[in-house]
Amino acid sequence: MITITINEKKITLEKPVTILEAARSAGIHIPTLCHEDILEPYGGCRLCLVEVEKVPRLLSACTQYITEGMVVRTETERVIEARRAILEFLLINHPLDCSFCDKAGECDLQDLAMKYGPATGRFAEGKRKHPESYDDPLIVRNMERCVLCSKCVRMCEDVQGASALCITNRGSKSYVEPFSGGRYNCEYCGNCLTVCPVGAIMSGLHRHDYRSWLIEREVETVCSYCGVGCSLLLQIRGNSLIRTVPKIGRGLNRGLLCSKGRFGYDYISNSERLDTPLIRRNGELQPAAWSEAITHIARRLKEIKENHGSDAIAGIVSGRCTNEDAYVFQKFFRGAIGTNNIDSVASLAYGPAQRFFERIFGQGVTANDIHGISNSDGIFVIGGDPTGINPVLGLQVRSACKKGAPVVVMGYAEGLKRFSKHAFITNSTTETVLLASLVSEIKKKKSLPGERPVFEEIISGLQPVPLKDASEMSGFGLNDLVDTVDTLSNMINPSIIVGRDIVQTSTGHMSLLFLAALAYLLNGRIYLLSELPNEQGLLDMGCQPDMLPSGRPLTIETFRTRCEETLGIAIPSTPGLNYVEMIEAAHAGRIKALYVMGEDTVQGLPDRNYVSDALRNVEFLVVQDMFLTETAQYADVVLPSLSWAEKEGSYTNLERRVQLTKKAVEGEGIEEWKIISEMSKILGLDMGYRSVTDIFTEIVRISHIYREITYNDITSGRCMWPYKGGPLRHDVHIEGIELPDIVSVMKNADESGVQVRREAHLFHSQNASRYSPALQSISPEPYVKMSETLAGRLSLRDGEHVKVVTEAGSITLSVHRDPCLPENVVLIPPFEKGGIFEITKWKVNPVTKAPALDGNRVIIET
Amino acid sequence: MERVLLRNTESPHSADIHEYIKGGGYISLHKAFEMKPFDVIDEVRRSGLRGRGGAGFPTGMKWSFAVADPQTPKYLICNADEGEPGTFKDRGILEKNPHLLIEGMVISAYAIEAAWGYIYLRGEYPRAKDVLLSAIKQAYEKNYLGDNILGKGVGFHLHVHCGAGAYICGEETALIESLEGKRGQPRIKPPFPVNEGFSLKPTIINNVETLANIPCIIEIGGDAYSKIGSPECPGPKLYSVSGHVKRPGVYELPMGVTLREIIYTHCGGILGDKKLKAVIPGGISTPVLTPDKIDCPMDFRNLPRVGSLLGSGAVIAFDETVDMVNVCLRITKFFEHESCGKCTPCREGVGWMRAIIERICGGAGRNGDLDHLMEVSSNILGKTFCPLGDSAATVVQSYLGNFRHEFEEKIKNR
Ligand SMILES: Cc1cc2nc3c(=O)[nH]c(=O)nc-3n(C[C@H](O)[C@H](O)[C@H](O)COP(=O)(O)O)c2cc1C
Ligand code: SF4
Ligand code: SF4
Ligand code: SF4
Ligand code: FES
Repeated sequence: MITITINEKKITLEKPVTILEAARSAGIHIPTLCHEDILEPYGGCRLCLVEVEKVPRLLSACTQYITEGMVVRTETERVIEARRAILEFLLINHPLDCSFCDKAGECDLQDLAMKYGPATGRFAEGKRKHPESYDDPLIVRNMERCVLCSKCVRMCEDVQGASALCITNRGSKSYVEPFSGGRYNCEYCGNCLTVCPVGAIMSGLHRHDYRSWLIEREVETVCSYCGVGCSLLLQIRGNSLIRTVPKIGRGLNRGLLCSKGRFGYDYISNSERLDTPLIRRNGELQPAAWSEAITHIARRLKEIKENHGSDAIAGIVSGRCTNEDAYVFQKFFRGAIGTNNIDSVASLAYGPAQRFFERIFGQGVTANDIHGISNSDGIFVIGGDPTGINPVLGLQVRSACKKGAPVVVMGYAEGLKRFSKHAFITNSTTETVLLASLVSEIKKKKSLPGERPVFEEIISGLQPVPLKDASEMSGFGLNDLVDTVDTLSNMINPSIIVGRDIVQTSTGHMSLLFLAALAYLLNGRIYLLSELPNEQGLLDMGCQPDMLPSGRPLTIETFRTRCEETLGIAIPSTPGLNYVEMIEAAHAGRIKALYVMGEDTVQGLPDRNYVSDALRNVEFLVVQDMFLTETAQYADVVLPSLSWAEKEGSYTNLERRVQLTKKAVEGEGIEEWKIISEMSKILGLDMGYRSVTDIFTEIVRISHIYREITYNDITSGRCMWPYKGGPLRHDVHIEGIELPDIVSVMKNADESGVQVRREAHLFHSQNASRYSPALQSISPEPYVKMSETLAGRLSLRDGEHVKVVTEAGSITLSVHRDPCLPENVVLIPPFEKGGIFEITKWKVNPVTKAPALDGNRVIIET
Repeated sequence: MERVLLRNTESPHSADIHEYIKGGGYISLHKAFEMKPFDVIDEVRRSGLRGRGGAGFPTGMKWSFAVADPQTPKYLICNADEGEPGTFKDRGILEKNPHLLIEGMVISAYAIEAAWGYIYLRGEYPRAKDVLLSAIKQAYEKNYLGDNILGKGVGFHLHVHCGAGAYICGEETALIESLEGKRGQPRIKPPFPVNEGFSLKPTIINNVETLANIPCIIEIGGDAYSKIGSPECPGPKLYSVSGHVKRPGVYELPMGVTLREIIYTHCGGILGDKKLKAVIPGGISTPVLTPDKIDCPMDFRNLPRVGSLLGSGAVIAFDETVDMVNVCLRITKFFEHESCGKCTPCREGVGWMRAIIERICGGAGRNGDLDHLMEVSSNILGKTFCPLGDSAATVVQSYLGNFRHEFEEKIKNR
C-alpha cells in the first residue's frame, strides 16, 4: 500500500503506479499529449508536469512513479504557467489551420489550447514549412501539424510491430515519415492514425468531406472482415457512413484494427452494389420487383422439389451471414425444402479442423481467448499467417515474441518473418512429414500425461519418422529441426495457431492428427484462424449437412426428434452433401437447384473452370449478394443483400465469443431472414418471425450451447464460451481414426518441380475487399512470389511479368522475389483476376472433404 | 605535478603498447587482479574520483550501484563522444594514450564484473578510431583483453562503436539507445543505466578521462590520490583551452587550479595581450563568466558558486574585441541544431530563442525582445526532458545577464 496526497486529497494505491495513473484513479485530471495507455510512457510533450513537494523541478506525471508520502499538486500557479508555456511552444510552429483541418473538433491540441493555452501567440519568427504529403493512397501526412509526440511511431513499432515509421531529422526539423518514403508500403493498420492527437496523420478516405461535429450518430459494432470480430465505431451523418474508427481500449481488440477494419468499410457505398433483384429472362439478367423475384424463386424450388425430389436442391451460406440469417437458412432447407443439403464456407477448412480437434478433445477445445496468446511462453503457427488472416490476433503473436516467447512457423507467414525463431516454408507433403517427425521426436522427450488413454494409444501407434529422414526429404537443415524440437519441448503453455492451408491438401487429415498429437504433447491451446467473420456461427447454427444447430449430429435420433418437436418441422434423417460434394453433384447434373447466400463460389474453390461448369449445369441458381459476383453472373435470380452495416444480428468469432452487429444505416433491400421466411411461407412453412430477436430467441431455445444467452449478454462483449455454463459434450469418439501411413506417403512423394501454394493476403480477403476501393488501392496487382534462386535462374526482376502455367490453366502475374522462399514453392494469393484458383485443379481430400490445393506443379514462362 | 593522464605523450610512439609498458603501463592491471573486485571499487570510492563527463558523479558510488544489482551480464561503456564545442580533452587520451584508457577499462570491468565493453567514439574522430583499434589489437595480442586475461580467468572484450555526429548521444541514455541501433534520444530515468542500461542490463558509463584515472588510483592508492588537487573533487584534470589565448591546447593540471592560472600562467595570456572580456569555463553548455570571476578554482564545487559549472573543463577565452551577442547566437544555433526533438520546450523553445537573437544580430531587433527572450528561456528552464534544453536556456540567460548592454546596443543601433 502506498499513500500519497494529490491536491490535498489522500490517495491509497496498492502498487506503485505513475502519478498520472494515481491522479486518474482519484478523478483528478492531468492534461497529456504524448501519453497513451497502451504505449510505454515517453515523457516528451511535458504537458503533464506537476509539482511534487521537496523536488525542485516540476516532474512529468506520466513517467514519474509515486513513492510513499509523496505530495503532489497539479494545479498550482507554477504548473499552470508551465502548461501554458508548453502549449505556446507547441503552437509556434503549428500552422493553426484548424479551419480546414479534418481533425478540428476532435483534436487534442485544439482542446488543450482552448483550456490551458495562451490567448494569443507571441511568436513572430516565421513558421517551419512542410508540405502536406498525398503520396499515399490512404494516409495523408501533414507534418506542419505534428506535435512530435511519437505516439504513431511507438504504436507502429511497439504494438503493431510493423516498424514502418520513424522520426526523421532532429530538433525542430524533426518530422514523421515512413521508412519507405512518401508511400507507406506498410501494413496499413491505421493504428498510427488512431493515436495521432492532431491532424498530422489522417485517413485519406474522408479527407475534407466531413466535420467531426457534424457526425450525428455513432454505432458500436463489430468488423465484418474476419473471424476476430474487432469492435469499431461507425460514424454516421444522415444515412451515410462517414467513416469507421476504433476506440482505444474498447472491444477485444482494445482499439486496434487492421487495414480491412480500418479502411475496408467503403465497399458498402460502392456504386456497383445491387439495388434491385434480377431475374434471367431470355438469357439476360433483368431488374425485377422483390415480390416477383421471391415468388419466382419459391415457385421454381417447388417445381424442382416435385420433379426431382428435395435432395436435388442445395444451399450454401457465406461466412459473412449473421447467426440469425444462417439459422433461418438451414431451417428453410430442412423444414421447407426437406433436405440436409445445406453447408457453408466453414466446411472448406475451419469446420473440418474444428471437428477433428473436438472429436479428440471435446467440444469447445478451440474456444480460447485471443489474449491468451500473448501470455503463452511459445507459439507454433501452421497453415497460415495470423498477421495476414486475423491481423489483430497476429499482434498477440508478435507481442508474445517481444516478451521472449519463441515462435516456430510452418508454412509461409510474411508478417512473422522478423518474429520467428524457426520458419519452415513447406510444400504440402513435407508439411505432413515434418509434423510427423516433430511428433515422433517430441514424444521421446515428453511423457504422455495419461489424461486421454485412447488418444495416447493412437499417439503411441504413430509411425516414427526420424528427423534425419524428414530433413533429407524436406531439405531443411537437421540442426534447425533438432533445435525446433528442443524449442517446442521446452514450451510449457504454448499457443498453437492453425490456418486453413494445412487442411486444404490431400494429406490434410493426417496433418490434423499429427497436430492434435503435438498439441496434446505440448499441452498447447489451439486457435483456428478464420478468414470470415462468422464461420464459427455457421457451424453453431447447423449450416452443416450432418449437424443440427449447436453441433449435434443429425444421425443421432434423440437430437433430431427433439429438434423436430421444438420447431414443429420434419428433418430428413440422412445427412446431405457438403459444399464440395454439392459442386461435384452439380457438375454431374444431380443438383438441379442451388441457392447460394453471399458466397462467391467460383472465387473460393480450386479450379475455376470446373466450378463454373458446375454452376452452369444447375437448372436453377439463386445467388444473394451485394454485388454481381462471378457466381451471380451464372444465376437465374440474383437478390441484392444488405451489408453488415445495414442490418442487425450476431456473429460468433473464432474464440466463440458472440457479438452483436448493429444496424447503422438504411440499405436498399431486405434482410436475408425476411426473404427466406417469405419464401418459406409460400412453400408452406410459416416461421413467423417479426424481428431478429425472435430468431435469436429460437436459437437460444434449440441450441444447448447458446442456452439462455440474451442480446444484453452479447452487448457486454464478454459473451464467451461456454456461455451460461452449458454442458460440454464429453462423448468423444476417437474410434475410427485411421493411423496414417506416413512411411508410404514419404515413399510415394513426388518432390520434383515447383508447387504453387496460396498466400492469404493482408489486404485481400475472400470477397468484400474486392469491392473496397481503399483496399484495392494498396496493392492492386496480382503477383507470384518466388525464391531468389528461382527468379535468378529465370533472370527475373521484381515487377517483371511472367506466365504461370499449370495443368489447370495459366495466368500472367508480376514477380515478387522473396529471399525466404525455398526454390520449390511459389505463392499466389486468391486475387479475383489472376488468383491461385485459376490454376489449381479440382481435388478433394477424401477424409475431410475439404478442397485440396496441393500437387499443382507450375511452369514459369518468361 | 607529474603528469598522469598524459604521461609520456610527447613520445611519437606513446600509443604503442611497448612504449606504454616501458613507462610502467599495465602494472596497475596486474595489481588490480591481485585484489578482490570489491576492493578495487573501494579504492576508487576512497579516491574521491568524480566523473569527468560533466556531471561530476562519484565514480565509486556509481560502480557499487551496478554491482548491487543482481542482474547479469553487466556492461561497461566508455563515453568518448566528446561532442561539446571547446572540448577536446578526451581526444588527447584517445590519440596519444589509448592504453591508459584500455587499462582503466579492464580494471573497471574487473571491478564491476563486466565481460563486454564498448567505447562509444565521436564519429568525427577518425584518427582516434585508428589508434584505438590498433591499440585494442595489441592489447588482445598481449592478453590484456580476451577470454582469459593474464591467465587469471577474467574475460573482457572491447568494441569501438562510432557515433554519427549527434551531441545528444553523449548523454548516457541516448548513447545507449544509439548503441542499440535506435534513434539517439534520452530515456526516462529512473531506471538508471546502472540498473537498466545496454540491453536493459546493468551498465556503467564513464567518461574517457574518468576511466583513465583508474590505473593511477590503483597504482598509488585511493588515499594518496584523494590528496591531489581540490579536497572535495580531487585528482588530475585535463583542461582543453581554446579561444584567444597564446598557447591553446590540452593541459593536465590538478583539480582546483584557477582560471587565471590556466589562462595567464599555462596558456601565456591573451593573444596580442588584449584584454579578456569573457570566459567559458567548462564547454559551451556552461554559463559564461566575466573576468572578475577568474580567480575561482576550477572544480565541481567552486564554479557553481560564481554561477557556472565545471562541465567538461573546456575553457574558452574571449578577448575584448568579441561580439558577445554573436557568441550567444552561435551557441544557441548549436543547441538548436543538436536538440534531439523529443521534448517540446527544447525542440521549439531553443529555435525560438535563436530566431530572436539572430534577428537582433541581423539588425532587426525590437524593443521588448530582451524581456521576451528572457521569458522564453525561463519557459524552457526546468521543463525539459534532459539537461540539454536546460543548458541552452541557462546559457542564454548568462549572456543576457552579463552582456545585456551589448544586446541593447544592437537593438538601439539597428
Ligand atoms: C547533452 C549531454 C551531452 C553529454 N555529452 C557527453 C560527452 O560527450 N562525453 C561524456 O563523457 N559525457 C557526456 N555527458 C554526460 C553523460 O551523460 C554522463 O553523465 C557521463 O558520460 C558519465 O560519465 P562520468 O561519470 O565518468 O562523468 C553528456 C550529458 C548531456 C546531458
Ligand atoms: S498504418 Fe500501421 S503499419 Fe502503417 S505506419 Fe501506421 S501503424 Fe505502422
Ligand atoms: S504524426 Fe501525430 S502521432 Fe505522430 S508524432 Fe506527430 S502528432 Fe504524434
Ligand atoms: S531537452 Fe528534450 S529535446 Fe532537448 S535534447 Fe533533451 S530530450 Fe531532446
Ligand atoms: S504526457 Fe507526460 S510528457 Fe507528455
